[in-house]
Amino acid sequence: MGAGPNEYTKLLTALKAGTGAPDVVQIEYDFLPNFIDFGGLVDLSKYGAGAYKSDFVPWTWAQVSPDGKAIYAIPQDTGPFAMVYRADLYKKYGLSVPKTWAEFQANAEKLAQETNGSVQYTDFYSTYAPWFMGLVWADGGRLWTHSGNQWTQSLNSASAKKVIDYWGNLVDKKYAATLPDFTSDLNSALAKGQITTLIEAAWGPGSLASRLGTESAGEWRAAPLPQWDASAPFRSGNWGGSSSAVTVQSKHPQAATIFALWLNSSTTSVALNWVNGGLFPASETGLQLSGLHDPSKNPSKFFGGQDVAKVYADASAAVPTDFQWAPWFLYANNSFNKYAADAVSGKTGWSAALDAWQQDVLNYAKTQGYQVSAP
Amino acid sequence: MRRRWTVPYLFLAPFMILFLLFYFASIVYAVYLSLFIQRGIRPKVFSGLANYVRVLHDSQFLGSLATIARFGAIQIPIMLVLALLLALYLDGLRNQRLRTYLSLGFFLPYAMPTVIAGLLWGYLYSKGLSPFNQLLAPFGASIDFLGRRGLLWSLGNIITWTWTGYNMVILYSALRGVPGELYEAARIDGASNLQVVRFIKLPMVAPALALATLFSIIGTLQIFAEPFVLASLTFVPTNLMPNLYIYYTAFNYGNFNYAAALAVVLALITFVLSLGMLALLNFQRRRL
Repeated sequence: MGAGPNEYTKLLTALKAGTGAPDVVQIEYDFLPNFIDFGGLVDLSKYGAGAYKSDFVPWTWAQVSPDGKAIYAIPQDTGPFAMVYRADLYKKYGLSVPKTWAEFQANAEKLAQETNGSVQYTDFYSTYAPWFMGLVWADGGRLWTHSGNQWTQSLNSASAKKVIDYWGNLVDKKYAATLPDFTSDLNSALAKGQITTLIEAAWGPGSLASRLGTESAGEWRAAPLPQWDASAPFRSGNWGGSSSAVTVQSKHPQAATIFALWLNSSTTSVALNWVNGGLFPASETGLQLSGLHDPSKNPSKFFGGQDVAKVYADASAAVPTDFQWAPWFLYANNSFNKYAADAVSGKTGWSAALDAWQQDVLNYAKTQGYQVSAP
Repeated sequence: MRRRWTVPYLFLAPFMILFLLFYFASIVYAVYLSLFIQRGIRPKVFSGLANYVRVLHDSQFLGSLATIARFGAIQIPIMLVLALLLALYLDGLRNQRLRTYLSLGFFLPYAMPTVIAGLLWGYLYSKGLSPFNQLLAPFGASIDFLGRRGLLWSLGNIITWTWTGYNMVILYSALRGVPGELYEAARIDGASNLQVVRFIKLPMVAPALALATLFSIIGTLQIFAEPFVLASLTFVPTNLMPNLYIYYTAFNYGNFNYAAALAVVLALITFVLSLGMLALLNFQRRRL
C-alpha cells in the first residue's frame, strides 16, 4: 500500500474491521504515532530490527522508534528541507542565493521593488501544516514531547511563533504567495516565472520535474535551507517522507520485517525510487548510491545537471533527532488549515492564530482522553 | 387462492431485501456502534448515551448544522425558482424538437458524476487559471472563488448547476400532467398567458414543488462530494458540512463510534425535517 489520505482511510477501516490489512504498509512519519496509538502496528524490535539502526540516518530512526525501545517501522524515504530557486530569474533580477532568513527577506523586498510586485519571491503553503512544522523543526523547535503517557504540546512555542511571524510578514507584504502546493495554479505560476523560490522537501525536486515537464526545465537549482543564525551549526527540518510498518494483522511478522528491511536497503529499489518518483532514501548507504547523483536523469536533469541529491543529503544529516509527533497529529493538521486561513485573510494576526490553534488542538486531545498540557 | 397474498410481497421483495440489507441494517449497526467508546482497536467499552451527550455539546458539529441551514435557506429557493422557470418555459414551447433537446440539455449536469463536476468547477474557480478571472484580468480584477468569503457561494453554484435540471424534470412532468381541458376552459374565459400560469399551472405543480423541496432539504443535509473534492484545491473547513465532519471523524481520526453517533443524530434531524414537511403538506391539502 502506498502512503496518502486514501491509503490511511482504507488502513484504518481494515484495522478496525480486524481483517483485510496488508502485511506491510507505507506510513508517513507524522502519521505513525496515530497508528501506533490505534494499536495497529507491530513492534519490530521483537524481530531483530534493532540491529539495523545504524544503517539509517539517525533522525529517521528516532521517528520510527519514538521511545527509543519499541520500533514500529523501518524508515523508507525522507523529506529534508532545502531551498529551490529559478537561477534564470535570480540572474535577471540580480538576486544572490540567501544563506540566512534575513537575506531571504532582503531578496524578497528587492524583487518586489524591481518588479513592482508582479513577481513574488516565494510561496507559503498555508494548507500544509507539516510544511510549517518542518520549518519549526529546522529551527530546533519542538511541538510535542512526552514522558510515558504525559504529553506536552507547544504549538505556539517561541520557535513556532518566530517562524509564523516571519512567514506571516512575507504573506502580508505580498512577498509570498499563498497558492496551495500541488495545484495547477501553483504549477502555472512557477512555469510563468511568477514565483522564484520555494522551500521544498527532498521529494520536491522530483515532484516539480514531473509537474512542470519541459516548462522552466534546466533553470532550477537547489541550495541549502536559509538559517536563522549563520554562525550556529547548520540545521534543516523535514517534511513528509515515509516508513514501512508491519500491521498487527500480519500472519508472518518476522518475514514482513525482513521484507521491510530489504525494501528500504536494496540498492536497486532505492535508486529507482529517486529517479522515477524523486523519493529520497532514509538509509545511509542509499545516500551514497551513484544512481542518486546521475546528472543526466531527473530530478538532477531538471535542475540543470546539478547534484541535487548532494544538497539534500547534507540537509538530511542536519535534521534534529528529537522532533516528535502526537497521536492526534491528524487533528492538529486539519485544524492548522483553519487558523492559517484566518491569518492569511487578515481576520486574525499570525501569532494569535497559533495561540488559537494550540488551544483548539489541546481541547481536542483532552476530549480524546489524552493526558496533555501546555508547557 | 392461497398464492394471492404472497404476490405483493414477492414484488416488494427485491426492494425490501436490498433496503433491509444495505439501509436498515447499517442504521441498526450505526446505532449499536454509537453506544460504545473505543480507542483504536482496544477493547470497546459500553458507554450508553455518552457519545450523544458529546454530540449535543460539539461546537464543530453544531457549527456545521448552522452552516448547512444558512446554505439551504439561500440555495434551495434559488434552485427551485430556477427549476420552475425552466419547467414553465419548456412547457410553453411549441417546437417539439427544441423542447426535447433543451430538456435533455438542462438535465445533463445531473448525469455528470459529482466528483468530476467538482474537479471541473474547481478548475473554473482557480485563482490564476480560471477563465472568468482571465476575462476580468484586463480590468485588474479577480475573484477569489474559493476564498473564505466565496467558498459557500461557489459550492452553492455547483449544487444549483447539478440539481436544477433534476428538479426541473419533476416540475416539468407535473406540468405535462395538467389536463388540456383546463387550458381550453381558461382560454374560452379569456385568460391571458400570465393568468394561465398563475391560476392553473402554479396550483397544479404545487404538490410537485413541495416534493422537490423535500428532496432538496434531504439532499442538502447530505452534501459531501463537492466540498470534499474542493478540499484538495483550497482550505475547506473539516466541519463545513455535517457529512464532511462525520467523514473526518471516522476515517481521518479513526473515531468510528463517535462518528456513528453523529450520523444517527443527522439521520434523526433529516427524519424529523421530512416528517414536519410532510405534515405541513397534508395540513395544507386538507385546507384546500
